[in-house]
Amino acid sequence: MYSSQYDGGAFVSSQSPDSSVAKTRGNRSTTIPLTVKQITDAYESSSQKSELIVDGVDVGNIVLVGMVCNKASRATDATFTLDDGTGRMDFIRWVNDAADSSETAIIENGMYVSIVGSFKGFNERKRATAFAIRPIKDHNQIVLHFIQPIRMHLENTKSKVGSLSQTQQSFVNESSFSSGYKEPQTPVSNYASVNSKAQGSETDIYKLVLDVLQEPSSLASEHGIHVDEVVQRLGLPAKKVKEAIDYHVDVGHIYSTIDDFHFKSALGD
Amino acid sequence: MDTSSPTVFVNGELLKLYMGRRVRTVVQVIRNEGGAVVGQSTDNQQLTVKGPNQSVPVMHFMEVIGVADGPQSIRAEICTDFGSNFDTASYNGLCKLANGQFKNLFL
Repeated sequence: MYSSQYDGGAFVSSQSPDSSVAKTRGNRSTTIPLTVKQITDAYESSSQKSELIVDGVDVGNIVLVGMVCNKASRATDATFTLDDGTGRMDFIRWVNDAADSSETAIIENGMYVSIVGSFKGFNERKRATAFAIRPIKDHNQIVLHFIQPIRMHLENTKSKVGSLSQTQQSFVNESSFSSGYKEPQTPVSNYASVNSKAQGSETDIYKLVLDVLQEPSSLASEHGIHVDEVVQRLGLPAKKVKEAIDYHVDVGHIYSTIDDFHFKSALGD
Repeated sequence: MDTSSPTVFVNGELLKLYMGRRVRTVVQVIRNEGGAVVGQSTDNQQLTVKGPNQSVPVMHFMEVIGVADGPQSIRAEICTDFGSNFDTASYNGLCKLANGQFKNLFL
């Protein structure tokens, strides 16, 4: 059962150690698309093995997509292993009636399926429970499924960017590449947490600009704050401030309001 | 739960980074040449797939799971017919993300 440390918000990151920004979103019974690797990492790093917490979000039910192997069918249940390319996980599907048994009968080894299931009880029985197993007919669904945890991860870690960029400072100062975020060589991301190669001063400016935009006075105002005001407040070159603002707009931290010179933080509570 | 031998999402460009490792990719079948299939990767490179290719029709998309044994070649273990309606741009984007910023979700 979900413990009482909740407020009823499924996305409250009450368990994560750096939950300086806790966001309450949606309802408690979440169904979240994940990869087996994410589940394994969350399981192994958590002290409470009965609950699954991924990116600070308490996970209710899980959706996985992968290939079936080792299927074994019995009268009361069917067990199988799902291989989604990131890892393998054992599942059991209880068979209670004819509908269930016809659902499991069509599943064969080597088939791509989508599973909705629950992780509860994994600690004791070393396998998860599947509620629904559906064969994949359109293989674009496989691609879509893997994009979803990426997006979710981005969303859930975005709210921590304030504390992350602070940690970022110490990484840059120590000039060491953190093992947690180890993609300094890819040009793909311009996400703040991965810019461990960024010059220290640039990250400083970006953070300072974001801080100004996240001040209560800026957040309170409906149209946010004017670029010139940010420049004045920080006493930094206008060009650098505008660069920082453009960057934050690109990654989605801020947005323009009444015109191209007023900006407001998208991260404010 | 076992994450000891993950299969890396690759396209033509990324294949050469994972030589000798288990990879998965989707190619569009161009032609069959004896025991090998020549396919076009999602980033428009030609890859050769050796192994039990079953009978994926030409012009269909085929997912190949196997070991990368050359900069443009895979020794396939499993081939799956992905039909004729597959979005290569999305898959290509996924390969880049899964090997880049979000590698820790996959490998």
